Amino acid sequence: MSIAHIGTIARLELTQRLRSVGWYVLLGVFAVVLLGITALAFAVFSYGDAPGAGVYSIVVNMVLLLVVLVSPTLSGNAINGDRDAATLASIQVTAASTGDIMIGKLLAAVATGGAFLLVALPFLAFSLVGGGADPLVLLISLLVLAVEIVIVAAIGVGLSGLIARPLFSVATTYLVVASLAIGTLIVFALGGFAIRSEATNYSRPYDQSGNAICDEWETYTYEVPRFDLVWWVLAANPFVVLADATPTEYSPNGYPVDLFGQIKYGVRTAQLSPLEQRWDECDPDYSSDTASDVIESTVPSWFVGLGVQIVIAGSLFAGAWSRTRTPARRLPPGTRIA
Amino acid sequence: MNGIAVDGVSRSFGTVQAVRSATLRAEPGRVTGLVGPNGAGKTTLLLMLASLLAPDTGTIRIGGVDPSEDPLAARRLLGWMPDALGAWPSLTARETMVTTARLYGISSADAALRARYLLDLVDLGALADSPAKVLSRGQKQKLGLARALVHDPQVLLLDEPASGLDPEARVQLRVLLRRLAAEGRTILISSHILSELEEVVDDAVFLVAGAVVDAAAVPAAVRAWRIRLVGASAERLNADAWQVASTLGVPPESLGGDRGTVLIGFENEESAASALHRLVAAQLPISEFAPAQSALEHTFLHLNQPRMQPAPPAPPAPRTGSEAGA
Repeated sequence: MSIAHIGTIARLELTQRLRSVGWYVLLGVFAVVLLGITALAFAVFSYGDAPGAGVYSIVVNMVLLLVVLVSPTLSGNAINGDRDAATLASIQVTAASTGDIMIGKLLAAVATGGAFLLVALPFLAFSLVGGGADPLVLLISLLVLAVEIVIVAAIGVGLSGLIARPLFSVATTYLVVASLAIGTLIVFALGGFAIRSEATNYSRPYDQSGNAICDEWETYTYEVPRFDLVWWVLAANPFVVLADATPTEYSPNGYPVDLFGQIKYGVRTAQLSPLEQRWDECDPDYSSDTASDVIESTVPSWFVGLGVQIVIAGSLFAGAWSRTRTPARRLPPGTRIA
Repeated sequence: MNGIAVDGVSRSFGTVQAVRSATLRAEPGRVTGLVGPNGAGKTTLLLMLASLLAPDTGTIRIGGVDPSEDPLAARRLLGWMPDALGAWPSLTARETMVTTARLYGISSADAALRARYLLDLVDLGALADSPAKVLSRGQKQKLGLARALVHDPQVLLLDEPASGLDPEARVQLRVLLRRLAAEGRTILISSHILSELEEVVDDAVFLVAGAVVDAAAVPAAVRAWRIRLVGASAERLNADAWQVASTLGVPPESLGGDRGTVLIGFENEESAASALHRLVAAQLPISEFAPAQSALEHTFLHLNQPRMQPAPPAPPAPRTGSEAGA
């Protein structure tokens, strides 16, 4: 393994990409979309006193969305595309090792995803003007975003080494990424509604003058979906990982100030059992839980989700690595080496 | 040892046996031709030599290094030119050269010098800054050759290097290959253009259906020679053929014709020489007396039909003058 070789291969990949006009058009379109999103986000968060944090979180989520949407196209044919163009063997026959090639290609794919982040930087900086953004939030959310870019790139490069035809590997990369981003949501929703239980609601009955009767409970039962049994499915969702890992800032009344916190609050609420609802007007200390209470009392899941993603991406990448090794013993079905 | 040594190498793809127990040598300082019909396994064999494909059985030595055991050491010794050059379309010829050189661990400064030198060598200097996608097929071949030479390899594996080249470039390629061989390099070259190959190779290895065939085992068969009398024409063919046949005392039906020249079969060079002597002694105005086929082509065609005897390229049946003029 050699840093110089890895750099040369990554530069080779990027040079080719940078010379296509389509790439700049794509980045231009992305900038225009971000401009609109930023303006809308300012309008959305203008109610609070810290709109900057909210806008910032929306822009970061947009970058992640773009990476999820575009990266598979750019990384999903990294290896088999070269094999089709007969350029892979030209590299393999040099002193560059399989590791150099794999890491170089991964690096190029990551840099491509990073380009979206680069375009978004002015908007992120602009969102800080609105105020309210915490340095720790900035740091961790960008770090998680970077890790997600690497994961999507590794899935794409990995599948491109395992599947012979570029068209299928790009499609498969989309399916894998979509199963994380959308599939988890679908399983969560369907699973939650499919498993239903009887929940009981407790509240104080009222006397004729409208005062609560404090030594009695009035109960009624109803069916509820059991999202608390399937919430963990969402852990592997990239947007949930991003939101769950980022520290939450609360407004004075205990509600999250940004999109990260709102998603986190939503996911954490799903962990709570819906089976017993109590509404006690006689308890002088009684108040319903705030978002910060919910988040404090539930378990974080981002590291599990990130772990699952890393295992998926890592095993695909490792599989492609062994398939790309030369001298080749087995070739992927339907391929010629050169 | 130096050069290329292949011993009992086999390789199959699924149920297709591409190379069967091939054994061959290519010596340093010599150009060895790898000859065989389409699908004979030439490219598969070259891929194994180029350290890209592992043999199922057998051993390969490139300059004494086994590419299966130490691919990196083998790759530093060998330069490989694939039959289809995969050129990075948006990179210029110069960038292609520099990138490849960098991947062999050559410093940037040396890589730039090497790129300029090699692009001039293959006559691509004027196109050094054109992207590869605008290069013609022949120009891409030249780029592929230059790329194979970038790290000054001792062993060259060239898969169909002449395809797509114009006649001038072919001559240049031939001169270049002779020069590289004279510098002590081992050159293994596969080609379909046997007459071309014949002018550049010292040795030939024949590959048929994945197996190396011993050229010496080809039976000494009748070989066609071309005899041209001064002013030969299609109309005169029958008269010329009759003159030759009567001088040599053979039946005129055994002679053939090709574009006005007479074709006649000889068992070996000695009988050809004595026939020439008799024709000249009989004062026939001979302007051409040469084998109608290159030796390589002759052997190659016999290898293709190993069980057919007597061998077919004996003189074809006499044709009429009008047909021969076609």
